[in-house]
Amino acid sequence: MNRLGTFKLSGIALGLAAAFGPARAVEPIVTQNIDPAAPAALNTGASTASVGVGYASDDARRFGQYNGINQDGFYGLVDLNWVKRNDETGTWTRLFGRDVGLDDRQLRFEQQRQGNWGYSIDYSRIPRFEPLIANTAVVGIGSNNLAIPTTLTRGSPIELGTKRDTLGLGFDKYFAGNWDVQVKFRNEQKDGTRIFARGTTGTGPAGSFGQFEFAPEPIDATTRQLEAKVNYNGGALLLTGGYYGTMYNNNFDSGLNFTGGLAGLSTFTPIGLPPDNQSHQLYVSGNYTFTQTTRSTFKLAWGKISQDAQFIVPPAAGLPNQLDGRIDTKLAQFGITARPMPKLSVYGDVRVEDRDDKTPVRDYFVNTTSSTSNGDNEPRSIRTTTAKAEANYSLPEGFRIIGGIGLEEKKRNFSEVRVVSAREVTDERSYRVELRRPMAETLIGSVALIHSDRDGSPFLTTTQTNGTVGSNLIAPVFLADRKRDKVRVTANWAPIAPLNVQFFVDSARDDYSGRDGSVLGPRKGEAQNYSLDAAYVFNDRWQANAWYSRNDTRFDQATCESASAAGVCPGNAADPIWSASLRNLSNNLGAGLRARPSGQIDLGAEVSYSEIRDKFDLGTIQGGAVTSLPEITTKLTRLNLYARYALQKSSGVRLDYIYDRFSSDDWTWSGTGSVPWTFADGTTLTENRPQTINFIGVSYYHRFQ
Amino acid sequence: MLGGKGFFCAVLALLSLGALAQSPDDIKSGKVCATCHADAPLIWGGKHGTQADSRTPIAIVGCATCHGDPSEHLKSGNPMPNRFSKMSATEKSEVCQTCHQGRERMHWPGSAHERNDVSCSSCHKLHTAHDRVRDKLTQPEVCFACHKVQRAEVNRPSRHPIREGLVSCSDCHNPHGSVGRAMVLRDSVNDTCYSCHMEKRGPFVRTHQPVQEDCANCHNPHGTTAPNLLKFRQPFLCQQCHEPTSHRGNVASLSGTSTGANTLARGCLNCHTNIHGSNNPADLSNERTFRR
Repeated sequence: MNRLGTFKLSGIALGLAAAFGPARAVEPIVTQNIDPAAPAALNTGASTASVGVGYASDDARRFGQYNGINQDGFYGLVDLNWVKRNDETGTWTRLFGRDVGLDDRQLRFEQQRQGNWGYSIDYSRIPRFEPLIANTAVVGIGSNNLAIPTTLTRGSPIELGTKRDTLGLGFDKYFAGNWDVQVKFRNEQKDGTRIFARGTTGTGPAGSFGQFEFAPEPIDATTRQLEAKVNYNGGALLLTGGYYGTMYNNNFDSGLNFTGGLAGLSTFTPIGLPPDNQSHQLYVSGNYTFTQTTRSTFKLAWGKISQDAQFIVPPAAGLPNQLDGRIDTKLAQFGITARPMPKLSVYGDVRVEDRDDKTPVRDYFVNTTSSTSNGDNEPRSIRTTTAKAEANYSLPEGFRIIGGIGLEEKKRNFSEVRVVSAREVTDERSYRVELRRPMAETLIGSVALIHSDRDGSPFLTTTQTNGTVGSNLIAPVFLADRKRDKVRVTANWAPIAPLNVQFFVDSARDDYSGRDGSVLGPRKGEAQNYSLDAAYVFNDRWQANAWYSRNDTRFDQATCESASAAGVCPGNAADPIWSASLRNLSNNLGAGLRARPSGQIDLGAEVSYSEIRDKFDLGTIQGGAVTSLPEITTKLTRLNLYARYALQKSSGVRLDYIYDRFSSDDWTWSGTGSVPWTFADGTTLTENRPQTINFIGVSYYHRFQ
Repeated sequence: MLGGKGFFCAVLALLSLGALAQSPDDIKSGKVCATCHADAPLIWGGKHGTQADSRTPIAIVGCATCHGDPSEHLKSGNPMPNRFSKMSATEKSEVCQTCHQGRERMHWPGSAHERNDVSCSSCHKLHTAHDRVRDKLTQPEVCFACHKVQRAEVNRPSRHPIREGLVSCSDCHNPHGSVGRAMVLRDSVNDTCYSCHMEKRGPFVRTHQPVQEDCANCHNPHGTTAPNLLKFRQPFLCQQCHEPTSHRGNVASLSGTSTGANTLARGCLNCHTNIHGSNNPADLSNERTFRR
């Protein structure tokens, strides 16, 4: 399919550079020559406009997931950054457009008299094209009334996706006496559909995987944010007081309704969609300088979150038709930094965040059958207290020794009926010691050792509706006792002037303690991250860089099949107690070259490659054999070339070439055999693999003088 | 370091007396400096060069506002008083903080960047028409100079549109310091996520404890290979908390029916579809288990 839109080729080019680039290893070579590909600065020298055309060779939904370049064809190239300053009044006027006319377009107009007043209006769209194509016979997709086939039915391809259209307004004004106000408003309309489902246990029609039906969630919601701040600069005392309010309004307020489908799912209609909710917060934050070497920061905030959307199905008689949800939040923070001696710096910080869920508890239905619900709603209150302290002492030869401790306590409430083990209090203590050399001619870096230890109050047992104690074999991963050890090494080495080498190692290990006498649940986690970057400046016209990163994370856990309600594991002797060793290993490398061989020509090249392996090794601890899952390998290759030729001092042409390849044997939707995941209505979701795209663009740019 | 008004007066007096060979205006405008430092005047094209704003360096004493008294440098080639390449991070930042304090920088003292020897000029480039850290498209380049793990993660199949410049690091983090963990933009991780994902906030009739506590319990916002930015696939993720009763301890599998193929498609969410919370009070366990 051919399509003519407006597309900012340079956006993609720079985007790739941003993601894979060496991060400052290669700077733009001649900064006076404004790069028309990056015209975002408020600078009179940054006024540029570019117009061109590009061609995409193939459909590539991964490449175009967020920019809309997902089909073959022609695309227009239009960008604009017009900046003007009135030197007499100090008034700036700016009109900015990026990817104008394409799906990820951004527009902004702003005007400001520097140090006096300013306003802005902007519009942007963030699209998300679902990489998977749904082959479905479900009718009504996009609405909240879905008609589901009652038998396995062959469907037609449907593209899913969302778009967020955002309008932003900003205003600020300075007043005499060092006061100023800032106001920001943002309205976002999100539309589209996303993958969703309904299901229950039981066997579905032949050819399906069970009683699961494809039920795309319709999205038509408005999100609004308003923030108004008053700032005061009193020299030693800096203050900000403000209001931050948010509002979510779901235009599908009657839930997701179904007709048709399996008889076994007939009670699963309507399905609730996200309810309208609001938040309001007042805050004051500040910064006070006691002396030139002693400064403090603080923040106090009070907030309220509410949710009073009408229920999609009226509750029992006598109960209100809304939750009357209300959460009060409070925050208090105080920090101080000081240098009591020339060689010693200290820092301390205390923070308390309280989320008090004041939603009234009501018995929404009389439970006669379920063992896991007493019919009450479940308010969640959480209080988090953190405290940190650090000392930093200067040593000879530019070294510093740093020691720090941190404490975090979380208190939370739980409902009377629990299906997951709970812990009202968790405490985590962390200790850090670091040797750092922040300044030196050739070698700077740091070595840090961090240890943390989390424990807490005794576990509350899972409890059924009738008060019976249930299974208590797992310590939830975010509550479990955990010992964490971490080593971090960084180095930046410049052995000779044109060469800079960065080295980074981060190695962490988590050990989890299970419930008493149980080997189930989280057991161990590891992360090993290595990175090596090198940049070489041949001369003021040629620069190159290369980098390599390896990221390896592992997590070991265990559970048991079919434990009894009372936690006898396994419930049947033949069922296994089994472990999973999960691993995500990625190797990433890249290289870049920037050159300016003559006064008229700029050249650039970036190439990158990522290979990511997900491994799922399962093992038997006791009982029957288990089978590991197939490994998933994902590969991404990108090449980005550009050449810019200056026709005149203020104009020129730019040629771009992008190669992008995505491949994966991810079986999430395709399965591992010839039979893909199939919903009971016949829906399947598929993705073309591999996806390769060649993109060529030619554009003309003009720089305003 | 700047010496306050006394220093400015001294420089102006020096210039007005013609103690230097160059014209005072040429020194103040940076023309003299540009004879050796070619990129230097680019700063005047930006906000620092707005003459009508009396707070700006160009309106005060030009380059000397930040770099110190140039007289010895011009006379004998001695280094400038504020030689940024030889200054500590704290010293460099203090120069900028002479003017840039408060507002979004309120919590700079004690912030992770401040304590880790990151200075303003570690990220911001002033003598250029394009400060890359202030452009959503190029900002990640700057952040990835130190945050190497995130550089790799943002290219995972499940990701935010960072590569396209539609979401940038500063949409979620305030690099100048905040009261939230990891310098998140709002006061907490959840509050930051809710600014775009407000539908997950609730409160709901049925709430999911780890969801209410920290989005990062289940998600890695920088990128994952598991769908929906999940740290692990289902059922593994769910089995890290849930008891193995009923079907919850089923062996992860790609075959079978009902709860058998629990690793395919949406995994556990094939049924427990409203995993962030359900506001439907009409039924028993179907709502408690986020199925309606």
